[in-house]
Amino acid sequence: MVARVWSLMRFLIKGSVAGGAVYLVYDQELLGPSDKSQAALQKAGEVVPPAMYQFSQYVCQQTGLQIPQLPAPPKIDFPIRDSWNAGIMTVMSALSVAPSKVREYSKEGWEYVKARTK
Amino acid sequence: MSESELGRKWDRCLADAVVKIGTGFGLGIVFSLTFFKRRMWPLAFGSGMGLGMAYSNCQHDFQAPYLLHGKYVKEQEQ
Repeated sequence: MVARVWSLMRFLIKGSVAGGAVYLVYDQELLGPSDKSQAALQKAGEVVPPAMYQFSQYVCQQTGLQIPQLPAPPKIDFPIRDSWNAGIMTVMSALSVAPSKVREYSKEGWEYVKARTK
Repeated sequence: MSESELGRKWDRCLADAVVKIGTGFGLGIVFSLTFFKRRMWPLAFGSGMGLGMAYSNCQHDFQAPYLLHGKYVKEQEQ
């Protein structure tokens, strides 16, 4: 009798945990349209770091441990997108003029060799 | 489609993919721990579902300006 009640309780607890997770996903529209997901990600980016900081402060207060302050991450001011685009354009323009350049250089080389062997 | 709009669509796609794969993975963890005896397949299933939904959303987003929407009009008998 007790075992049955206990297994029923376990099933109800597991069911409520799983059902709560599914409801949370449905409520926050995480599996919905892409703009809602983007908004959820932005909200998470704003909420999670202060929450982590407060949690770490609480843990420090309770345990007496001192978590050392990490230095701030370096700000990289390198425009990756612009340099990538510029690189792609340079490579493509080089590839497009490559045949005519090869022809020109080989012609010049041939003229040079002809002049030398005369 | 202008380049800035294309960039915005790519950003939205990537953010959507991250959220959906993470959500699928999280739900997979929950179901694996609660009902499926810590097996690996719910995680793979959830992540795969999230990836598929994100891919479908991205595809629709990129094709949206070029899709034509029509409707059937019944012929009126005179």
